Amino acid sequence: MFEKVLIANRGEIALRVIRTCRELGLRTVAVHSEIDAEALHTRLADEAICIGPADPSRSYLHIPAIIAAAEITGADAVHPGYGFLSENPKFAETCAQCGLEFIGPLPEQMRLWGDKVSARAMAKSLGLPTIEGTELIEDIEDAVRKAEGLGFPVLLKASGGGGGRGMHVVQSKEGLRAVFEMARAESRVAFGNDALYLEKFLERPRHIEFQILGDKQGNIHVLGERECSIQRRHQKILEEAPSVALTDEMRRDMSATVRRAMSEAGYLSAGTLEFLLDERGALTFLEMNPRIQVEHPVTELVMGIDLISEQIRIADGQPLELPAQPLTPRGHAIECRINAEDPDTFAPSPGIITELHMAGGTGVRVDSGIYGGGRVPPHYDPLVAKLIVHAPTRVQAIAKMRRALSETIIGGIRTNIPLHQRILEHPAFEEGRISTNFMDELDS
Amino acid sequence: MKLDLDQLRELIRLLDEANLTEIEVEHDDDRIRVRRDPVPGAAAAESLAPLTAAGQEPASAALALDDDDGAYVTSPFVGTFYRAPSPDGEPFVDIGDSVVPGQVLCIVEAMKLMNEIEAEAAGTIVEVLVENGKPVEYGDRLFRFEIG
Repeated sequence: MFEKVLIANRGEIALRVIRTCRELGLRTVAVHSEIDAEALHTRLADEAICIGPADPSRSYLHIPAIIAAAEITGADAVHPGYGFLSENPKFAETCAQCGLEFIGPLPEQMRLWGDKVSARAMAKSLGLPTIEGTELIEDIEDAVRKAEGLGFPVLLKASGGGGGRGMHVVQSKEGLRAVFEMARAESRVAFGNDALYLEKFLERPRHIEFQILGDKQGNIHVLGERECSIQRRHQKILEEAPSVALTDEMRRDMSATVRRAMSEAGYLSAGTLEFLLDERGALTFLEMNPRIQVEHPVTELVMGIDLISEQIRIADGQPLELPAQPLTPRGHAIECRINAEDPDTFAPSPGIITELHMAGGTGVRVDSGIYGGGRVPPHYDPLVAKLIVHAPTRVQAIAKMRRALSETIIGGIRTNIPLHQRILEHPAFEEGRISTNFMDELDS
Repeated sequence: MKLDLDQLRELIRLLDEANLTEIEVEHDDDRIRVRRDPVPGAAAAESLAPLTAAGQEPASAALALDDDDGAYVTSPFVGTFYRAPSPDGEPFVDIGDSVVPGQVLCIVEAMKLMNEIEAEAAGTIVEVLVENGKPVEYGDRLFRFEIG
């Protein structure tokens, strides 16, 4: 086993990794920017190295500085957390070249799954359900023919687009005729090519994702699903496990499908396969995230497992020691992402924490990177804490989360706690009638 | 191309033996130039392309003015501090030396790359604050400096 782990990250995830390392008896090295000199991860690690100024491109994203920090401290492994360099194959390769064990997937797996087009092609070839779509469209008549084949509504997409750009939702044949030439011209200007294609548009999809772990012996374990439908602009706000939308049978079938596919593809460490679930109960592949995710604690609570510990054991070459499939979730877990932002305008709200009281009591877990008197710098992600609860049933978990939110006091900055309270009080949320449109419909 | 101290020493030895002022080695996209300084005996290594190849900006010294009693040269990199171009070489600078802008003060090695730290302003070295061969963090004070 390696002895000293450098955590190439900051905030709550850096602390999350430090905690597990300490429990495993591993020494830890924090890296930090100048503005994070007094940050909690800097203070709680065994050693801390300043690697650059506040600007992440010159500190947390600066590969030579992080490698140099590992060299001067004698670290023998690196955990990248999420974000920053966690999905950068070049970083994983550089670690390997410098004799550092990268705690995560292989660089070629990051490349494959990091690119949306190759990821979808791979998913399809592995037999995962993918969204119904067409080949490239020749002209408007071809488009109408193909759209009728799929059934309206459809999504008219630019082949060169991405990240939510270059897409039009089309409800009817007339609508398609009206928008087609404009979409083609837009695509030509924005992406340098006017190739368009159609996809089936899901009006009220749920976001369901499956957690997987793969070891160096080639074993793949599927650790159930999470539901992350509560999103704003594709950013998840609140997650839960299990999903009320999956029956035991769907969970078992889908877990088997994911396990089969990922065993064939080969995958190392923790990863997540994201799907959309339509109103008829069909799942279609969205993307694969080759890293630990923000919302991993809900899986940890219902599965009774430490995912970071498993990642470390896998990196060390130990085989997974999980019970035989399928693992069944125990109880219900909910996570609220507490962001330093205005709950109404969503404007970032950095500053000094003047007062802090985090919730406690049975079934409440707090993963946070802040402390009273500490600073929330404006340079990084607004996530300051994750409040996670675990209870026997979803109804009890909701009650527990409401209670936990009401106890939480974060002074000096504004947070989205009032927004979470509104979500948890909403009848549609209580009844589990949610989709990725939930936030848009919250006030209507 | 990976540059290590041994390779660097070899280049410096070649430079001395052949009594040249400059050697430039090019291999694929990497380029290293070893050049003899006007100051007798001191040879400086410049690593050109590899710096950018590794996604790193060229080394530049940071001069921090402090409210106590002077200015400090701080490290623009995390790495290992070297006062001389080779283990048995003469230090680039010593206490009492006057330096000119652009003059090499030390090396901070990171990922086997020798990053030269140059003086930003003219002045005098008052104190050397880090021992040769010791690790330094970003922003660590390396020299106390008197401007002028």
